[in-house]
Amino acid sequence: MNRVKNIEKAEETARRATARFDALLDAAVDAIIVIDSRGAIEAFSRAATEIFGYALHEVAGKNVNMLMPDPYRHEHDDYIQNYLQTGNAKIIGIGREVSARRKDGSVFPIDLAVGEVHDGSEMRFVGIIRDISARKASELEMRQQRERLAHVTRLSTMGEMAAGIAHEVNQPLTAIATYSNASRRMLASSDADLPELSDLLEKISAQAIRAGEVIRRLRRFLKKREGEYETLSLNELVHDIAALAEVDARHHNVKLIIETGEEDVLVLVDAVQIQQVLLNLVRNGIEAMATEDHADKSVSIRLISDSANARVEVIDRGQGIEDSMRDRLFTPFQTTKSFGMGMGLTISRSIIKAHKGMLAFKDNPGGGSIFYFELPVTKGDVAE
Amino acid sequence: MSAPFKNVYVVDDDDAVRDALSALLKSVGLNPQTFASPQAFLEVFTADMAGCLVLDIRMPGMSGLELQQRLNEMRSILPIIFITGHGDVPMAVDAMQKGAVDFVQKPFRDQELLDRINNALEKNAEDYEILRAESDIRTRAGELTNREQEVMKAVCDGQANKVIAMDLGVSQRTVEIHRARVMEKMGARSVAELVRMVSRIETRD
Repeated sequence: MNRVKNIEKAEETARRATARFDALLDAAVDAIIVIDSRGAIEAFSRAATEIFGYALHEVAGKNVNMLMPDPYRHEHDDYIQNYLQTGNAKIIGIGREVSARRKDGSVFPIDLAVGEVHDGSEMRFVGIIRDISARKASELEMRQQRERLAHVTRLSTMGEMAAGIAHEVNQPLTAIATYSNASRRMLASSDADLPELSDLLEKISAQAIRAGEVIRRLRRFLKKREGEYETLSLNELVHDIAALAEVDARHHNVKLIIETGEEDVLVLVDAVQIQQVLLNLVRNGIEAMATEDHADKSVSIRLISDSANARVEVIDRGQGIEDSMRDRLFTPFQTTKSFGMGMGLTISRSIIKAHKGMLAFKDNPGGGSIFYFELPVTKGDVAE
Repeated sequence: MSAPFKNVYVVDDDDAVRDALSALLKSVGLNPQTFASPQAFLEVFTADMAGCLVLDIRMPGMSGLELQQRLNEMRSILPIIFITGHGDVPMAVDAMQKGAVDFVQKPFRDQELLDRINNALEKNAEDYEILRAESDIRTRAGELTNREQEVMKAVCDGQANKVIAMDLGVSQRTVEIHRARVMEKMGARSVAELVRMVSRIETRD
């Protein structure tokens, strides 16, 4: 009699425990899935049915890999086996961002945390899953917005620089026309010097390449594309953009001085965006100098770095920043210029922030301003 | 040294443009001398330089216009032909008002530039001749004694020998002797010519 009662009591306790467990499962906001050591689904919370679109009876007892996209779908059984044999945890107790697959076949990002449950000889795994597609989407949207804005700002910058760019293409064209005329006149004269003519022809082709280079740099700068982060030499980025900024400098009779070390400083960046920031700062510097009356107008770009950070400074010797502008400098649509959108510094700062860096300014002790940004230095090989 | 009126001074900060101009000018028998900056040109500049100046209007540091200004202050008679870019017309107009002889837009037809250079060289030859004559007059005037200079000034002011003699407290005969010396030393054949000479060196002072 007592035995029967004890069994009933035990069964009652077990039922209550199960009910409590089910209630707990269903109340959780995150999806909770329990599988056995072969990967078969034992429990599937209400949130899980909402996230994945499967009802409990559609998944109960089935392999959990049905909730995964390829290639994980086919490899998951091996993951479990591998863990059971080696105890080598890749995800258990760690948690990470992975892809999951809904009933309708769509793939979405999740945060997955996995724990293990020892129940006598049987081993079970509990997965806690949070659908992060909304967060990811908003991150993506923000990034895209930033990129669109950056692109528009680049276009507008190039528009403002058009006169200087025309000049820059005109230089090699002038040289080409003049070299060819000189060659023609030499040929027409009786004492045509063949080696000298050959030399002139070579110079003509070098100038054609030079003109092409201006266009190429321009196209690369204006290209609209998804953010591509690459490990690059900051020195090279500085020199490359200085060549473009030189256009503006010449146009305003300002000299550009570039001070970078010999050693390459590597950064993980979206090259075009960093160049955009730099070009913006340099152009501001040039503009600050253009109205000055010094005989020796110059803007310096200086690259300094330690093992952790690289800093690029753009130094002008202009009038400095007006007190009334200091607080509003990074506010959109604030500008002291007669043209331009007033977006330059705002977008520059957001680009540098997205690169885990900082952008700020200080007064130049010798008069004028120093605008600078810092980026974390990375190790590794330069992308080709 | 080649003939002074074949000297073409080219100031352009663009290596290729400068080199190409030099090749073109050499191909027509001119004598180009190139400079990468206005400062480099100023280092060799002297007021008695002959020839002409081909000057890029836009350069970092000192612009072409600023160089023109400096040269004007230093009484340069070198005619300036500005090379301008697209859209530099307002600057070019400014340069013309300050005495530049001409400007060409980049890229230019070679004949267009060469014609302007030839005109400039001709103008310079005339100006140079004038300058040389004036400097000659100045030299001769410098060789006069003080008394002779006083007499020359009085003669040019149209005063009669008698008045000059009274003013200077000497005899009329002495004035006549001084006057003959002045005419001889200055190389003037008539009073009218002497007056012209003196007015030339006076207006430039």
